[in-house]
Amino acid sequence: MAGVQVANVSRSFGAHKALDNVSIDFADGGFYALLGPSGSGKTTLLRQIAGFDFPDAGRIAIGGESVERVPVEKRRIGMVFQNYALFPNMSVADNVAFGLSVRGEAKATIATEVQRALDLVQLGKLGGRKPHQLSGGQRQRVALARAIVTKPRVLLLDEPLGALDKALRVDMQIELKRIQREIGITTIFVTHDQEEALTMSDRIGILRDGRLVQEGPPEEIYDRPQSEFAATFLGDANIFRGNATGTGIRLPDGTTIAASTGASVPAGVKASCAVRPERIRISTSAAKPDPADANTLTGQVSKRIFAGNNSTYFVERDGQTLKVIVQNTGAERLAEGQSVVLSWSPDSTVLIA
Amino acid sequence: MATTRVLEWLGRFYIVLLLGFLYLPIVIMAAMSFNASPFYQLPFEWTTDWYISLWQNDQLIAATWNSIEIAIITTLISTALGSMASLALYRYEFRGKKFLQALLFPPIAIPWLITGTAMLIFFFGVGIGRGLIAILLGHVALALPYVIVVVSARLQTFAPELEEAARSLGANQWQVTMRVTLPWIMPGVIAGGLFAFAVSFDQFVVSYFLSTPGQTTLPVEIYAAIRKGFTPEINAVSTIIIVVSMALMLLTARFFKFGGEK
Amino acid sequence: MADQRAIGSRRGLRPALPLLLPAYLWLTVAIFLPLSAMVFFSFMTDLPLAGKEWAFTLGNYAAFFSQSLYSTLLFASLRLGLEVTLWCIVIGYPAAYVLAKVLKGRSREAIFLLVILPFWSNGLVRIFSWAMVLREGGILDTALNAVLPFKINIDLMYSYPAVIIGLVHSYVPYMVLTCYLTLQAIDDSLIEAGRSLGASRRQVLWRVIIPLSMPGLIAGAALIFVPVVGSFMEPRILGGRTGTFYGTVIEDQFVAVFNWPLGAALSFILLAVVLIILALAAPVLRRAA
Repeated sequence: MAGVQVANVSRSFGAHKALDNVSIDFADGGFYALLGPSGSGKTTLLRQIAGFDFPDAGRIAIGGESVERVPVEKRRIGMVFQNYALFPNMSVADNVAFGLSVRGEAKATIATEVQRALDLVQLGKLGGRKPHQLSGGQRQRVALARAIVTKPRVLLLDEPLGALDKALRVDMQIELKRIQREIGITTIFVTHDQEEALTMSDRIGILRDGRLVQEGPPEEIYDRPQSEFAATFLGDANIFRGNATGTGIRLPDGTTIAASTGASVPAGVKASCAVRPERIRISTSAAKPDPADANTLTGQVSKRIFAGNNSTYFVERDGQTLKVIVQNTGAERLAEGQSVVLSWSPDSTVLIA
Repeated sequence: MATTRVLEWLGRFYIVLLLGFLYLPIVIMAAMSFNASPFYQLPFEWTTDWYISLWQNDQLIAATWNSIEIAIITTLISTALGSMASLALYRYEFRGKKFLQALLFPPIAIPWLITGTAMLIFFFGVGIGRGLIAILLGHVALALPYVIVVVSARLQTFAPELEEAARSLGANQWQVTMRVTLPWIMPGVIAGGLFAFAVSFDQFVVSYFLSTPGQTTLPVEIYAAIRKGFTPEINAVSTIIIVVSMALMLLTARFFKFGGEK
Repeated sequence: MADQRAIGSRRGLRPALPLLLPAYLWLTVAIFLPLSAMVFFSFMTDLPLAGKEWAFTLGNYAAFFSQSLYSTLLFASLRLGLEVTLWCIVIGYPAAYVLAKVLKGRSREAIFLLVILPFWSNGLVRIFSWAMVLREGGILDTALNAVLPFKINIDLMYSYPAVIIGLVHSYVPYMVLTCYLTLQAIDDSLIEAGRSLGASRRQVLWRVIIPLSMPGLIAGAALIFVPVVGSFMEPRILGGRTGTFYGTVIEDQFVAVFNWPLGAALSFILLAVVLIILALAAPVLRRAA
């Protein structure tokens, strides 16, 4: 087991900068998600760590040892591919045994290790099957068993759950997390699914256009996004843009919004605020807002989407559509076209430089 | 709808006619190899004498062995070299790759008369001369493009992630190729090998220009015999050839779909 | 991201070379150098072998242009190629259509295989089999005289039609193959759509099916025309004395007259013609492939 250090790594394909000076420290035993839209460079970064491709500049170290010029087969990593990449000509057991067998391990050792790995992923009885006889979830487990049986220093997962349907995906998330805890392996996980990143990982790195936008524990990124992109890509956010006042921002129409978290921006500079839709309270114009909610705005409901346990209101205000999510507590529902007051606390408002 | 059915039956009938056109001459030729009359006289009288006299024709037997040997060596060399080249064309991206792929087209498309005479001139010029070595050189070159095309077609169905997965598990290039890639493309390699065998075993034109008396192949001997005058012995040896090459192609069809259907 | 995946560390010619070199060296020695050597020799007075005197000359090409025999024969071969190609279209296209659009399932696969199987068997032997059928007192003669009430004398052997029949028999599977591939790629719903718009069967054929299968037709035509223009064995066996074509003249230069430089010049002219035809058909061939 070992941590992974990525320092100032850049990689270009022709004129396209796939990775631009990216540095991340993956601590030993942690579960990391690399999150970003397609084309953000997250897969390229994973392939640099794996050793399928070498960086143009920068350093990659696994367990303190520089590996940026070491080819994949010598890096002692384990990898699970998006489509599992199980060898179709081999049985499940032979697939899992492959890594040990190319290393020239003894037959008896291979057999016990393979059985242990298959038991770990709860496929102990299916060793004799061929990959095409397995369900998607089972293939996923075989791919995982194959990747960890060689006791790699790092486990790399390239959108491993992307091909599964939603219900199975949730099961596999729990399963994957359990196995990772059990063997305590440093795990780096590429995904474009923000929910998956939030629920599974200890830390998240958000990438965009080859750059690392923000990195930290899920709660931190969610509560204190450092950019509009981070705020809107991980979860939903209402963005207000204006000029910094020292305690918040002033919108073009003169309204001030107070913010007590986020960056400190000198007064007068352009800045924005992000507010999560579930932090905003919505009430009819007649009702009195909570005194703690220093920020208030008025607007008109343009649309309501009912989703069972909650409702999403779209509120028009000064040419901007704001999103508010309200838990379904059985209280009165607001009609479309109704004038409403939105209110929220400065603690829920993140100032973004 | 009635017209549709009539047209469909007409279509089927037409296919039967075409198959008749394609197979009748071959069947007649084969039948004549079992007819007793040396002048192909009817009525038909069953005999296997022509096959027996074929067995005693040392010149034809020697040419047959040459044909078989050359076809086997051609198959081995062209499948090995062709599969290697296909792998390289599949795995690597480099400038001029399109050009290298385009270079496979001329040996297939240029009439063998031109390739054959050009080989004759060149091999004479550089001192290789005519004979079995020259024939082998030519046959491998003619078979290579077929092998590369067939193996490459099979490689198109191979997921590159499989090679990457094997490497991530610590396999070196050789282990990746032998244990993951080769097992997958094996049907293509076998089909390519059968093509190569057929190209060489049936090859007449190039062999014709490159052979010398004594160092010749079966089709060249047959051509010489035909030009001297027909005998049922030629029918006998032709029947054997056509049965062998058709059986070979049926075998190939098991490994390689011509129709491009799944 | 898919293209980045393909590129990865597998860029550059260097790692590919050890795998590519053996095959391409072989092709160079046995195909590309010989073709270049042929061009070179075609400008010589004699072979530079065994201390023979030789010099550069344009005489071999002058012979082609000054003696009308060669150009006449080249035109005869081109005409032969054209006629055989047309017959292959007329015979092969309907068969390809029936295979692709009328027959279904296993019977289609089996019959398709049967149609193209002869193509992969020995060409010389198939030409010889026609000699059996066409000669005087042969099967066709005997069979027709047994059926018909009057006596006719069928002696097609050693004639131009015999050469045509043999060549069409040799190459028609090619046309069936290429047309079948493009025809089966045409979605049946296109044909139904045409019919639902009120087009007659004939209109659908001419305005939908034939234009869509044009790549297959042209590919097949090129792949037949080229070898037929260079054929010499078929005219020799089936054509006899009437079977003198451009290909047989080239053959003679190499195996009978031993005027290799002239043979090389004639081969090169044929190669030039072939290359022009292939270049014209190349865009279509590329689309069909």
